Amino acid sequence: METLRQLLVGREISELSRVAHLLDEPEQLAAAVGSVLPDAAARASHAQLGEAFAPIVERAAQRSIQKNPRTLTDILYPVFLPAIRKSIGEKIDQTFQSLNESLRHIFTWHGLKWRFEAWRTGASFSEVVLNHSLVYRVEHVFLIDRSSGLLIAHVTAENAMSEDPQLISSMLSAIQDFVRDSFNEKEQSGLDTIRFGELRLWSEVGPFATLVSVIRGNPPEELHEIIRDVLLRIHDEYSQALEHFDGDSSQLASVETQLQTCVELKHEESNEGFPWLVVAAVLLVLIPTGIWFFLSWQSGQRWQAYVSRVASQPGIIVAEQTARDGQFYIAGLRDPLAADPQSLLSGTQVDPARVHANWQFYQSLEPEFVLKRLTASLAPPDSVRLSVVKDRIVAEGEANATWISRAQAAAQQLSAGGPVFDISRVRDVSPEARAAEHWQAYVSRLGTQPGIIVAEQKIRDGQFYIAGLRDPLAADPQSLLSGTQVDPGRVHSQWQFYQSLEPEFVLKRLTASLYPLKSVRLSIVDNRIVAEGEAPDTWIDRARAAARLLSAGGPEFDISKVRDVSPEAREAEHWQYYVSRLEAQPGIIVAQQTERGGQFYISGLRDPLAADPKALLSGTQVDPARVHSQWQFFQSLDPKFVVKRLTASLSPPKSVQLSIIQGRILVVGEAPAGWISRAQAAAEQLSADGVVLDVSQLRELNLAELNHLREAIQTTDIFFSSGRVVPGPEQSPVLDRLADQLKEFAENARKAGVTARFMLTGHSDTTGRETANASISAARAETVRALLNKRGVAPELLLVRGAGTFEPAVPENENSRTGNSTNRRVSVTVNLE
Amino acid sequence: MLQKKICMLGGFAVGKTSLVRRFVQSIFSETYLTTVGVKIDKKSVAFPDKTVDLILWDLAGEDDIGSFRVSYVRGATGLVLVVDGTRPATLAVALTLRERVEAEFGAMPFVLLFNKSDLADRWAIPDGEIDELRQLGWQIYLTSALSGAYVEDAFRQLASMVAK
Repeated sequence: METLRQLLVGREISELSRVAHLLDEPEQLAAAVGSVLPDAAARASHAQLGEAFAPIVERAAQRSIQKNPRTLTDILYPVFLPAIRKSIGEKIDQTFQSLNESLRHIFTWHGLKWRFEAWRTGASFSEVVLNHSLVYRVEHVFLIDRSSGLLIAHVTAENAMSEDPQLISSMLSAIQDFVRDSFNEKEQSGLDTIRFGELRLWSEVGPFATLVSVIRGNPPEELHEIIRDVLLRIHDEYSQALEHFDGDSSQLASVETQLQTCVELKHEESNEGFPWLVVAAVLLVLIPTGIWFFLSWQSGQRWQAYVSRVASQPGIIVAEQTARDGQFYIAGLRDPLAADPQSLLSGTQVDPARVHANWQFYQSLEPEFVLKRLTASLAPPDSVRLSVVKDRIVAEGEANATWISRAQAAAQQLSAGGPVFDISRVRDVSPEARAAEHWQAYVSRLGTQPGIIVAEQKIRDGQFYIAGLRDPLAADPQSLLSGTQVDPGRVHSQWQFYQSLEPEFVLKRLTASLYPLKSVRLSIVDNRIVAEGEAPDTWIDRARAAARLLSAGGPEFDISKVRDVSPEAREAEHWQYYVSRLEAQPGIIVAQQTERGGQFYISGLRDPLAADPKALLSGTQVDPARVHSQWQFFQSLDPKFVVKRLTASLSPPKSVQLSIIQGRILVVGEAPAGWISRAQAAAEQLSADGVVLDVSQLRELNLAELNHLREAIQTTDIFFSSGRVVPGPEQSPVLDRLADQLKEFAENARKAGVTARFMLTGHSDTTGRETANASISAARAETVRALLNKRGVAPELLLVRGAGTFEPAVPENENSRTGNSTNRRVSVTVNLE
Repeated sequence: MLQKKICMLGGFAVGKTSLVRRFVQSIFSETYLTTVGVKIDKKSVAFPDKTVDLILWDLAGEDDIGSFRVSYVRGATGLVLVVDGTRPATLAVALTLRERVEAEFGAMPFVLLFNKSDLADRWAIPDGEIDELRQLGWQIYLTSALSGAYVEDAFRQLASMVAK
């Protein structure tokens, strides 16, 4: 059996075991499969193989990346780099486009509008700019086979025209090839963009097909992405068909729907023009409503005008008014005599049919209505006129008593709330009424008379009775009757006399009782009785008494302005005049003065230099015998007195002047030094009393020359022989010279404002008796005086004295018998005053 | 819609442009040839069951083979080789061009047109040579752009070849 099997299938068994061995040995199996794998893969169905390999390849790629990403990056680098570069380029283009458009429109009118739009919508300005400026339309889309340039599909936008798309697509590829070849460009992507005027050709290159879009206008760069997306989608869906495209586009007919989405891409300026339809529709709605509103407003206005017109009507009170649903309602009160509200409607353009009025009648108390009603009810006679005066109804004219009483009744009825009906101006035309009228006129005339007081008056049975007070000085009531048309026979008066306290009556009575003198005048000043003038005290006493009597209730009697002319008063007046005269005197101070028992006493201070008070009495009519004065002397510090005293005490030289300037005593001029020092001493004394004596402006008299001359004069002696009183002839030249010198000196001194006096002193020697010597010396001086006088020296300037032996020029020798001739002389001394 | 890219190849002044001028739809002017180096035209050929649109790439003819832009031929499914029957050298040019294209893109159907057949007196291609080429199974037409002779036939032939 085994052998048989060996024989039958032995070769197969060995072959089978070889195969089994091959399958069991992985190395051998791998070697076997590996040798056929490429061929098997090539022969396998692409789809199935792809399906089978996809997970493996994916995992392998994953592993490779996990292991070392660089490897795959290096592989893919040439593929990605152009894509990335292109994408970045597009982004940059996009940015530039946005920037360009923004700049282009930034200052234009559009720019402003778009800026507003950006603000309104919250978008950025550049977005809005792009939105408006990128107006474009995709007119054609060509899907072109990449290798042959044959047209796969072509879609055209509405109204877009083009030549044969087949030719165009081929030419486009040709141009792409041309560019690529011409510039040796190795880029896979080919020509991106062709621009010609308004048209742009954008081509997106896919693995098998190129999508060319023809765009009119200014497309945004983002459009690239949209087109690319479409191309990608087409590649996704039709990759098989595209890959094997052989010019038969029937399989790819449905691509056109994809392309259609591209063609629908456009952005058109919303140039819809003015929305006439909307405006018309809005107007259609607005105009009728506007008209309706206007009409209802107008009718409301008219209604209001009517209502205010009605309300302003006297006798109509509008209580309520309203306008509702085009109907007008009004309600209120109206006087039957008032205007008809219905008739007021005419001319108001308010439709009477739409007015619903509800009026209640009432009696208006407005004066004109009351007047109407009174006119109707009272039927006044023609002589009576009714009128409205300041809300009062006034009846004027004449009427008989019956009408008046009816009117009075009506007036009383009216008085509750209504206007006053004044019938007082209606004169009763009956005789009694006339007489009463005249009587009343007479009474009121009496009432206005001063000094008449009407206490009571009445009319009874045609008789008139009056009673009251009257001042005897007032007008006679009886005489006042004349001209009043009142019958004196029917008047019964009863007057009591009284003294009126009215000023004019008081004045009259005072004048009668006081018998004022002609020098006194009585008058009424502000309800006071004033007496003015002069009167003896007896009259004044009487007037005072009268004034005291009057004071109770009557007007005041003022007699203060009446001067007492009695002798004592006059003397006192004179005395006061004298006192005031004394007080006005400078240097006199009145300390006290009084008048007692007709005697006048005065005491005070007086400066010795002031006026004599006694002397001032003359002309004052004051009897000096009745004046008792007591004056203390004092030195007035009044500058005038000070000047007087200074002049008396200092006897200033003529070259000096004293003046009073602003309370200060100023001494000006030239004076001898001695006088100046005396003046300064006086100034010091006075300053203690507060009197300023200004001697600073005194200048010392220049007496240098005079001094020289004085020296010469005073060293001159006239010598005498013993026992002689006449100088010898040898003395004549000396005397001549001396006389000249004296005259010159006197003259110069006079010029300087001082008086020079020369003292001639006679001397004797000691021989002889003393008395003889004294007389000899005096005689000698007298002789020289006479001799000098003889020589022209004024005698009043020459004073003489005899010094005897008491002022010897040289000491006498007691034992000398002849005496010293030097001492027998006359010496001269100079005095300045 | 069935369309095929066809390249017209030939030396300088062999009459490619004239050939198509009368028989094809064209929207591009001849200046394209001198500017871009290519001009695209279309020739629709109707068969009972279908219409084939031949997209004709008229490549600028030059005797300098070196400047020939092979890239234009990419994606083509057929060739029209044009030779000037009065200038034997142009046959060599056409053949060289074909060789270059086949080297680049592989073999593809073609028709060979000996143009200017109307100029019989100046004809310079021996009939024997043409027959030899026919022996190779090549579709060869003696065409005249002037008279139009065999132009339509040639395109129709090529269309049937590429649309198979």
